[in-house]
Amino acid sequence: MIEKDQNPLSPHLQIYKWQISSLLSITHRIVGVINILAITLICFWIISLLFGENTYETVKVLLNSFLGKFLIIFLCWTFSFHILNEIRHLAWDLGYGFDLKIAKITGILVFIFSFILTVIFYLIGRNLI
Amino acid sequence: MAQFNLPQNSKIEVGKFFKDKTNSANLRKINIYRWDPSNGKNPRVDTFEVDMDNCGPKVLDILIKIKNEIDPSLTFRRSCAHGVCGSCAMNIDGVNNLACIKSHTDINGDLNIYPLPHLKVIKDLIGDLSTLYKQYESIQPWLKGGQTEKEVEEIKQSQKDREKLDGYYECILCACCSTSCPSYWWNGDKYLGPAVLLQAYRWINDSRDNDKKERLKKVADELKLYRCHTIMNCTNSCPKGLNPAKAISSIKKMLATS
Repeated sequence: MIEKDQNPLSPHLQIYKWQISSLLSITHRIVGVINILAITLICFWIISLLFGENTYETVKVLLNSFLGKFLIIFLCWTFSFHILNEIRHLAWDLGYGFDLKIAKITGILVFIFSFILTVIFYLIGRNLI
Repeated sequence: MAQFNLPQNSKIEVGKFFKDKTNSANLRKINIYRWDPSNGKNPRVDTFEVDMDNCGPKVLDILIKIKNEIDPSLTFRRSCAHGVCGSCAMNIDGVNNLACIKSHTDINGDLNIYPLPHLKVIKDLIGDLSTLYKQYESIQPWLKGGQTEKEVEEIKQSQKDREKLDGYYECILCACCSTSCPSYWWNGDKYLGPAVLLQAYRWINDSRDNDKKERLKKVADELKLYRCHTIMNCTNSCPKGLNPAKAISSIKKMLATS
C-alpha cells in the first residue's frame, strides 16, 4: 500500500490552461459577489435619503467624482455581465447550448454584449437616451 | 475550503537538463514533471532535448523515445497507443488529453507534460485514481433489475433506445474530464465528477435497466451532483469528443421534471 501522506499532489490551478468557459464561469461567480455588495450599497444610499438633503447632496458629489463615476460604470458592467451570462446558464438548465462550439460562441457574445449593455445602462441612467 | 496552493511537499523544483547528444538540427525542449517516491525529495520538472527528426507524431512517441534513448527511469502509463484504453491520460500543454492521440505538432514552443491535475502522484506522470474508481463502483455500472435467474433470453433494445446511449457508451474512463474540473479538485472526495456522472447517466438512460428511479435518487445529492457549475472544462478536455457537461445537465433536468 502506498503512503498517501508522502505522495505529492499533482499541480492543478498552477498549470491548467484557462478556457473561455472556465474564465467566464469564475468571472460570473466573482461578479455575483460584487453585485450583492453593490445592492447592499444601493440600499444604504436609499436609506441615506432619510437623513435629508445635505446627505443626499454629499453622496451626489461623491458619485459625480472620477472614482464615483468609475464605480458606477464598473457596476453597470458587473450587472450587465451577470444578467447576460445568467441567460446562458438558464439555457443550459433547459438543456440547450452544450455543444462545444455553441458554448464558446455564446461565451464570447456574452463578453462583447456585456460592454454594449454597460454603455446602454449608463446612457439610460444619465437620461441621455 | 479549497486549498489553491500546492502543499509544501508538492512544490515543484527545477530538475535536471538532458542535453541532446545526437547533434540533431531539429531539437525540441520537453519539460516533464518527475517525482521519485524512493528519495523523499520534492517533485521537479526535468527538461529533455529531443531530436524531432527521428520521432513519431504523437506526444506518446516523444515519451517512449525519451524512455528508450535518454532516461529509462521516466515512468508513465500507456497501453493501446491509439486512444482506446485511456491509460496515457495526462496534462499536455495545460489541457488534459491522451498522449497517444495528441499530436505534438499542434503545440507551439516548449512542450510541458504533467500528470493529471490534483491527484496524489504515485511516480512521475502516474496519478492515483483509486478515489475515482471507488466512485465509479458506487454508481453500480451494470445492468440491474427485471431479470430472474431462470430467464436466459436476451433483453432486447430497439434501435431508437440504443441510439440514446450514443455519446455516452464511448467513454473510456481515462479521467481527463474529472481531473480537469475545478469543482472536482476542491470537492473530489464528495462530488462524483464528470466521468462518473456521465457513466451514471449512461445507465439511467439505458432502456434495458429497471433501476432508473433508484439510480436517480442515489445521485440526487447536493455534493454528489450539484457541485457541477457548468464550468465545462470536462467537455473541453474529453479526448473522445464526448460531452459530460451535457450528461450532468440531463440528470439535473430529469430530477427537476420527474
